[in-house]
Amino acid sequence: MTSMRGAWTRRLFLFTSLTVAAALGAPAAGHAQGAPPVVIASSEDVISLDPHLLDSNNPTGSVIWSIFDSLVRRAPDGSPVPRLATSWERVDDVTWRFKLRDDVTFTNGEPFNAEAVKVNFARMDTAPFNTLQQLHDQTGLKEVRVVDDYTIDLVTEAPTVNMLYWLAEAFIAAPKYITDTPPDEAAVKPVGSGPYKLGSWSRGDRLTLVANESYWGEQPSAKEVVFRAIPEMSSRINELKAGTVDVVVGITPDVAGEVTSDVSDVVMNEGLRKMHMGISLNGEQPALKDPKVRQALNHAVDVPLMIEQLLGGSTSQLTSIVNPPNNNPALKPFAYDPEKAKALLAEAGFADGFPLTIQYSTRFAGGKEVSEVVASFLEPLGITSTIEAVELGQFRKELSAASLKGIYFQGWAALINPSVELVILTCGHVDNSSGYCNPDYDKLVKEASQTLDDEKRKALEFQAQEIVWNDAPWLYLWRLPNVFGISKRVAYDFRADNYLEPYLITVK
Amino acid sequence: MIRAQPFLRRNALGLIGLTILFVAVACALAAPYVAPYSPTSISLVARMKPPAWIEGGSLSHLLGTDNLGRDILSRVVHGARISLAVGFAAVILGALIGSTIGILAGYFGGWIDSGLSFLIDVQLSFPFTLLAIFLLATFGGGFWPVVLVLALATWVNYARVVRGKVMSVKGQDFVHAAQTVGVPTLGILRHHILPNAVSPIIVVASFSMAQAILTEAALSFLGVGVDGSNPSWGTMLNDGRSYLQSAWWLTAMPGIAIALTVLGGNLCGDWLQDRFDPRLAR
Amino acid sequence: MSRYLAKRLFMAVLVLFGVSFATFIVGHLTGDPVALMAPENAPQEAKDELRRHLGLDQPLLTQYARFVGRALTGDLGHSFVQGTSVAGLVAERLPATLQLAFAGFVLSLLIAIPLGIIVALKRNTVWDFVVTALAMVGQSAPGFWIGLMLIAVFAVELRLLPVSGYGGFAYLVLPAITLALQSAARLTRLVRASMLEVLGADYVRTARSKGLRERAVLVVHTLRNAMIPVVTMAGLEFAELVSGAFITETIFAWPGVGRLAVTAVYQRDFPLVQGVVLFAAFAFVLINLLVDLLYVAIDPRVKLA
Repeated sequence: MTSMRGAWTRRLFLFTSLTVAAALGAPAAGHAQGAPPVVIASSEDVISLDPHLLDSNNPTGSVIWSIFDSLVRRAPDGSPVPRLATSWERVDDVTWRFKLRDDVTFTNGEPFNAEAVKVNFARMDTAPFNTLQQLHDQTGLKEVRVVDDYTIDLVTEAPTVNMLYWLAEAFIAAPKYITDTPPDEAAVKPVGSGPYKLGSWSRGDRLTLVANESYWGEQPSAKEVVFRAIPEMSSRINELKAGTVDVVVGITPDVAGEVTSDVSDVVMNEGLRKMHMGISLNGEQPALKDPKVRQALNHAVDVPLMIEQLLGGSTSQLTSIVNPPNNNPALKPFAYDPEKAKALLAEAGFADGFPLTIQYSTRFAGGKEVSEVVASFLEPLGITSTIEAVELGQFRKELSAASLKGIYFQGWAALINPSVELVILTCGHVDNSSGYCNPDYDKLVKEASQTLDDEKRKALEFQAQEIVWNDAPWLYLWRLPNVFGISKRVAYDFRADNYLEPYLITVK
Repeated sequence: MIRAQPFLRRNALGLIGLTILFVAVACALAAPYVAPYSPTSISLVARMKPPAWIEGGSLSHLLGTDNLGRDILSRVVHGARISLAVGFAAVILGALIGSTIGILAGYFGGWIDSGLSFLIDVQLSFPFTLLAIFLLATFGGGFWPVVLVLALATWVNYARVVRGKVMSVKGQDFVHAAQTVGVPTLGILRHHILPNAVSPIIVVASFSMAQAILTEAALSFLGVGVDGSNPSWGTMLNDGRSYLQSAWWLTAMPGIAIALTVLGGNLCGDWLQDRFDPRLAR
Repeated sequence: MSRYLAKRLFMAVLVLFGVSFATFIVGHLTGDPVALMAPENAPQEAKDELRRHLGLDQPLLTQYARFVGRALTGDLGHSFVQGTSVAGLVAERLPATLQLAFAGFVLSLLIAIPLGIIVALKRNTVWDFVVTALAMVGQSAPGFWIGLMLIAVFAVELRLLPVSGYGGFAYLVLPAITLALQSAARLTRLVRASMLEVLGADYVRTARSKGLRERAVLVVHTLRNAMIPVVTMAGLEFAELVSGAFITETIFAWPGVGRLAVTAVYQRDFPLVQGVVLFAAFAFVLINLLVDLLYVAIDPRVKLA
């Protein structure tokens, strides 16, 4: 039955494609020479190819990572990997010294050297690039000193543990080109030293990368890579099943089952974003100021059931506000215990519950479903919820003003860096959208960020994690699960931070 | 050419349309009594159950359950409230604005007519869908914003039709007579002009009603629809779109509800148009 | 004739001004694009500097005046998000949009006109009933449902056509059908109604009673006159397609103006939104003008005043 239909369809397909090709004199979507390109489908389009305007991990980030190099690159586990820098050391508390590769040229023939680094870092610190480039802001970088052609010193205002982390997002473009070219043009004609160079780009449709033959490292397995923008998720999955796309990014966990077919598999990993319902301490519901109420909320929601049913078991519960492997292993998730939740509410003087607004934006898929389910868990406690969708711009404004009404669906910090993750919940921090403020916590976090001894710092960080965990400024949920689709023709280990590295894809 | 047709045959389509609309309105009004469950009651363990007549379905959920285990029949019935409310509110608001402008432009003529006609021209050259997305994405979605946008999009239809009708009526004797005996302008508008404009308004309204429900679904698809705790049909359709191939009933049920209601509105519109004024240009 | 044209052109310019002003004001009334552009944890000083860099710290009217001044020279400004020229971005998407709009439009006319005429001639037969019912259903079904179903059947199940994307003729088929089905349903009903009205008119009856052959009656009198409302409606449909088939373009990942507009709105990319709206309004005005001129060609009785 199947084979009969298959044969019939193939014949019909052959017929249509022949007539179509004949009618138009157009090539029938075939690539005569070599293997067909590896096609990657994302929901969004690449925004800009200016390496210093990078603002999203995929697809823009994935393309930038392929065309440009940075001094160090971040391995999937967060550790730094040598790239344009071969080695580094701390000369003193505020100075980092980097040895650079001496065999790198940009695709336009310009050589890579210490001066190139200096020019690029200087550009990052000017508008409009400095809103997106956080190297100077986050590390306190104040001086870039050229020691010799292939040695460079980075001097910071205070000791920092974050230098290598942010260097991974500081990309080096051909210095003369990026200085002399108008930003308009630089944003569409990138010149870097990465494993690929830009083949062609038609906005809103596809961007093609071709292997850079003069690349200093190993040549990639996929000689040609195409990034396609396909906004509708079901269309992306259908393309994969039809064999016309090799990698699909951005699939919600509850349809993961549909991705598997005779030509494709589904791959799931736990992302780094810590999803939670933020609890607004200074919102319209004063009850939320009481830590007992916040703990009660955490006990009231059956998070494991939600993960099992809504996310197909694709991720796990948060156990700290810091991602593994840096989390305090002594901390355990709040158990689902409606009785305990009721008791805690009664202790706090809210035995009859209270009205609560639940807000979500379009930023994260599933916000609506999660809000609805959380509301249904809170109902038995007498907490009557109103669910509100908030337009994204408005939502972001209220996040930075810490002015959301009640609880809200949010995910923070797709990164592995305890210092950066902890600082978010200090008093008045721009990302501290719940308005949580505990001086004891702040003291520990500050002390940790200036402690260069690894063991001591870890101990301080563990202490801070414990305080904030029990204060519960969030209703802890899970790590944002990533679901990918991949065709059986290629192999790739997906990263948790959603960057794709096409040069690591192998074509079977 | 013109055959004598029995009443039923002549009015069959209109009667079908009216019946559909009547059932939809009845469902909306009696939703809490008709629906077997609360439309928002969630049961994660009972998610994605197919309709009763499919293997795996059960009589306790006639039309199956959705991705959060809510009863689809209950949601469709309650959804009628939101969808019809959007439709009616948009029609009433659009008709009020449009007819007022149409009457003023048609009756007074001169510079008032020129000014209002310019307004109509501007509105007509403004691509509607883009306008709707733009306004809703900027100010946020929700019931009243969507109604407002739909009204803004449809008032022109009323204005054009009413203006034409009023212009033809105002030249007639009884209007002149009223003017000569000194009936105040407002009185003339109310007692002589408005009643004559009612039939075209009703015809446009029934088409607009259908259009409004369909447009609300489209706006939901683009993420700027009515999105409250209680679902509209458009919201349901949009929420279920990722499951189109694995659990078709999530989209099919609200989809059928929309298609039927829109059909009802269009049938009524056709029928009324035939009865009132076969030459009425749309 | 030329006086009429001048008047219409003057109106068109006025309309474009109205549209651009409305867009500008609405776009600036709420929402801070910088809040959307800068990452969640960017420092405040950097955000302020960006605001200055984009000219958003100027008074509204100054910003509008500057916009209009530049627009008159063909410069629609730069996209906040993509950093490139708005005119360039729109121009880049134009071929794809025109291709799809034209294909959808032609297809819908090819379906609607013959079908509408046949049904009108066979009034009150089974054919009439079936076609009218189908058209009704077509008009009542949400467009994106049709599109997703076509993909499921023809691209995934049968693998006859590509799922989505922009390329050769094969890529055009499904999105064009999706667009055409909806628009054809509306037009078929209009053609039928228009034909019926004209068939009942006095001059057609006179022509028949004079003994002219049926076909001559049909061609000479009926068709021509029946097409007038159809032309108006078709013009509007085409204009709506050119200004953006938002949903169809989204489902089929078609790189057209509609998707550009939707993305721009969501990203609060003011210059791009303004550019796209202005372009769409321009297309509307132009197409309406052409429709008016077509009237003269079809119906000599139409006086241009």
